[in-house]
This record gives sequence, structure tokens and C-alpha cells, in this order.
Amino acid sequence: MIPITREERQWFLRNLAQGLVNYMGVLEPPVPVEELLKNPPPLYDSDFGVVDMYSNLWDATFARPPSRRGSIFVRIDLEPEERRFVLARETLSALITSKHGRAMGLFDLLLPNLRESAEYFASCLLAPAPLLDAYQEQGGRGRGVARTFSIPQSIALRCWEDFASVN
Amino acid sequence: MSMQSLNQLVARSIIDPSVVQAFSAGRMEEVISELDFSNDIHKRLAHLGAKSWAEYAVLAYRYVKAAEEVAVRIQLPSPLEGLLPGQERAEDEQAA
Repeated sequence: MIPITREERQWFLRNLAQGLVNYMGVLEPPVPVEELLKNPPPLYDSDFGVVDMYSNLWDATFARPPSRRGSIFVRIDLEPEERRFVLARETLSALITSKHGRAMGLFDLLLPNLRESAEYFASCLLAPAPLLDAYQEQGGRGRGVARTFSIPQSIALRCWEDFASVN
Repeated sequence: MSMQSLNQLVARSIIDPSVVQAFSAGRMEEVISELDFSNDIHKRLAHLGAKSWAEYAVLAYRYVKAAEEVAVRIQLPSPLEGLLPGQERAEDEQAA
């Protein structure tokens, strides 16, 4: 695999996330990430799923049991915004280990920086630039991003800063 | 426009297997032809070699970005070009 820069990786991740947003036909926030995982595109029928778990060890993790559907195992007691974010984050693991993701070469490209890539991907999936753009045009401000997009405050701040730096 | 087309292609590839199938079969020219790329970029992307679709996308990004940066530089007037007509006019006025 060729070495790639963070900027190139982020560009690629932004567009992957946008592809899923386009598939869902999302016109306004919040992006229904759990709905996507429960009713995935046919291509990911055997890769997307959600299983609630009681755990103190992690917030969420993707696992693919042998010859069974891959699923995100998520702590049942998370706040709704936190739950949405960790589900979006783990969606990248589901994608890169899927048959289609491997055929795309996602595994080799994204595995070396998986955690950072997954968090960036999650922020793009939950707060896509076109929706942030529309939000801003309607007078939305940074302080309202978390509530409007239903994401954790720390993630909202980062999304807004990234968005403001590009626009 | 080219970067926008490339963005759309990468976005499409995550849910449409035909993009990766075309890449694997060496038929990217067919896919590229459907999109709004300039002739130069079209030719380059149609024959860009890569080991995987993801690698192809990154290489395409590098090429399109570089091409668009060159285009922006060409569109910007050179400071020299902007001054010369004025200087000539000033010289003409002095001569008169």
C-alpha cells in the first residue's frame, strides 16, 4: 500500500461517510446511524448489526463471530449522543472487514490508523458537511451543533471547527 | 468540478459494487466517462495504475488536486502583467 497523508485519508473517509449519508437520503439532522446498522444496504447484510451489552470494559466494539453476521456490541447504558457516536465509529470497522470493504482495499489503507480514522469517519457520518452547511445557512451556530446533530459536545466542537476552517 | 466528480465517485463506491468491479476488470475508463472530468484528467484517471480501488482513489485525488491547483494559479493574474499596462501608460503620458 502506498503511504498516504492524514489529509488524503480524511478526504477518503469524508467521502465514504457521504456515500452512506447519500444512501440513507438524509436531508436534515440527526443522521439515523442506528437505523442504517439495523437496515443496512444489501451489500452489508452480513456486516451491520447492533447488540446491546452490559460491559464496563469498553463503550462499543465491532466483532464478527465465525460464520455469523458481524455486529457492533455496544454498552447499554450510554447516553443517546454517546451511543450514536460509538456506533458510527465502529461502523468503519464493519466496513473495512466486510467483503466489499476488503475488495475496495479499505483494510490495508485504514488499518494502520484505525482508531483515529474511525473517530474522524464517525464525525463525518453524523455531521456531514452538506448538513452543516445548511445548518449554518439557516443561522445555526457552533453552540447548537451538539443538540441539532445529536452528538457529544466534544465531537460537535471539533466538527464545527473543522467545518469553519474549510469554509 | 473534477474534484466534485471524484468525491461523488468515491462516495458511490462504498455502496455500489460496480465501481470496484470496473476497477478490478480494468474498465475504469467506462466509469470515468460518465463523470464530469476535463480531457486531461479523464485520460490520466482512465489509465491510472493502482493495487486496489482505495489506492486508486488516493492517487486520483493527488492528481486532480494538483491539476486544480495549477488551474487556479493560471487564472490568477501575475502582478507583473497587472503593472505593465499602467507603466506603459505612464510612459506614454510623460512622452506627451
